[in-house]
Amino acid sequence: MDIKLEKVDDYCWRIPKTGSMRVPGIIFSDESLNKDLQRDESLVQVANVATLPGIVKYSLAMPDIHWGYGFPIGGVAAFDMEEGIVSPGGVGYDINCGCRLMTTSLEADQIKPMMKEIISALFKNIPTGVGSRGAVSLSKADEAAVATEGAAWVVKKGFGRKEDLERIEDHGTMEGADPGVLSERAIQRGLDQLGTLGSGNHFLEVQVVDQIYDEHLAREFNISQGRVTILIHSGSRGFGHQICDDFLKLMAREVSAQGFDLPDRQLACAYLKSELGRRYLAAMACAANYAWANRQILMHLAETTLLSTLSLSPSELGMQLLYDVCHNIAKKEHHEIDGRQVMLCVHRKGATRSLPPGHPKVPEVYRHAGQPVLIPGDMGTHSYVLAGTEGALQKSFGSSCHGAGRVLSRHQAVKKAKGRAINRELEDKGIFVQSRGKRTLKEEIPEAYKDVSRVVEVVHKAGLARKVARLSPLGVIKG
Amino acid sequence: MSKKKQDYILLDHTADLGIKVRGKTLENLFENAAKAMIELTVRGKSEGKIHSRKIVLSGQDLADLMVQWLGEILYLFEGEKLVATSAKIDKLSPSMLEASVEAVPFDPEFHVIINEIKAVTYHQSKVLKKGDHYESTIIFDL
Repeated sequence: MDIKLEKVDDYCWRIPKTGSMRVPGIIFSDESLNKDLQRDESLVQVANVATLPGIVKYSLAMPDIHWGYGFPIGGVAAFDMEEGIVSPGGVGYDINCGCRLMTTSLEADQIKPMMKEIISALFKNIPTGVGSRGAVSLSKADEAAVATEGAAWVVKKGFGRKEDLERIEDHGTMEGADPGVLSERAIQRGLDQLGTLGSGNHFLEVQVVDQIYDEHLAREFNISQGRVTILIHSGSRGFGHQICDDFLKLMAREVSAQGFDLPDRQLACAYLKSELGRRYLAAMACAANYAWANRQILMHLAETTLLSTLSLSPSELGMQLLYDVCHNIAKKEHHEIDGRQVMLCVHRKGATRSLPPGHPKVPEVYRHAGQPVLIPGDMGTHSYVLAGTEGALQKSFGSSCHGAGRVLSRHQAVKKAKGRAINRELEDKGIFVQSRGKRTLKEEIPEAYKDVSRVVEVVHKAGLARKVARLSPLGVIKG
Repeated sequence: MSKKKQDYILLDHTADLGIKVRGKTLENLFENAAKAMIELTVRGKSEGKIHSRKIVLSGQDLADLMVQWLGEILYLFEGEKLVATSAKIDKLSPSMLEASVEAVPFDPEFHVIINEIKAVTYHQSKVLKKGDHYESTIIFDL
């Protein structure tokens, strides 16, 4: 299918409503990023999402859009609570995959000579890779508590501090979780994976703040030039994958009975007000809570590792959670539609929430600054901290991008990296990497991704979030 | 499209990994698909205790059954840490599948993990007759 893009302005493009599309598509992008879009099927996927019942205003894509399955990655769509649907494919397999950023009192120059040692210690202490067993072994009752209470439960168990909870999206606990709706398989898979980083594009990175764009907001976020930050990218592991898989199957079976056709079975969905839709949301909330608990534990492991490796006291290290955001989720949120506040179910599949200053869902500590928006780069490139804006609320249901976005398949990337020592290449740039598999490194080479700086620039110029600071990697651990 | 394997080829998908599988019969197609997915997940052999499993599935059509069938093999690995060594289709129709699977426990001393496949997706899933053989496209979430 050939999709034509109409220019709205330099950073916004429209897919006109045609065929069975119920609303138009809107892509936040620019001329240079548009070139990558024509190479795959991501625009068709934006149009496909626009055919789903109850979709409100438009089917959106952030500048890091790339070809997913069902929904595009970087896709955002909001659905009416009465007439709309919820789609597990619109959330993704890794429910509440997300990012967490911590600031420290350390100067990068202080720790650079010890980076190899630091990365080795982090790699040793943080379970990574396929099949790794978690730092915490759960009983079924514990797992149900994690699924219901999220980060709050692991804080009670001694991982991190109570104050951390205020700096997590939804305070690290999504309401409406019901472990009673989970399959035995989901429960089994969740038992031994809490406190694991995972594989693929998941990572933990030690970074340095190398550029400040907005001094005032950087101060509000406790970000200082030259200081060390830690970024964690991980999700709900096999527990979330199984929940997505279970409900996709159930919904694929029921689609024909619901009276509408799907252009792609992966878009299988259920009406929000149906029993199946309600059960999915209750299961999804369990996985969201599991992911927040997981990142809380990973943060704790990183902190204890740094304390012992560098022989510092907690106050000398000064590690503080800046924020934790999810980028694979469906949430009930209030948005203004035609002058009225309406409750919608906003799907963010590879997109980060971006709320402006003063919004009640922004933690009090950041109420004047806006919600921190964390954008991880790919391995070896920069990551960004932005702040939420009013523009995002008006244009994208309070959403921003979530990363760089792939342009090469993993297979193409491995081919391109053939014969190269990726570890050595990164070390030459002053970045120490440790991973379980060499293949992961090759799959994740910088050339496999869009230029994250370009993506972030479009987000900033389109008014979806405001640039605050840039972070440069010093060391990475991966699965 | 790229690297030719015996009964399947890898498809390039930006975010994930896809395969196009062939088989002389439908049963053969489903068996080859399982073989391909295992090959993409884990390599190596172990002499561990063999576990036998009967798999019975009902589905809406062959594509649905294919996604579910591979999902079962994947669960064996992800959920029970068992690596399938043989996957045989006993009965197959557009609405049901019966199969016998043998598997050995995953053993890091003998097995090497190649890809962490999170799930078998419905995206662009197809089972088609092409001349004298059958063909199926499957995209995995990595």
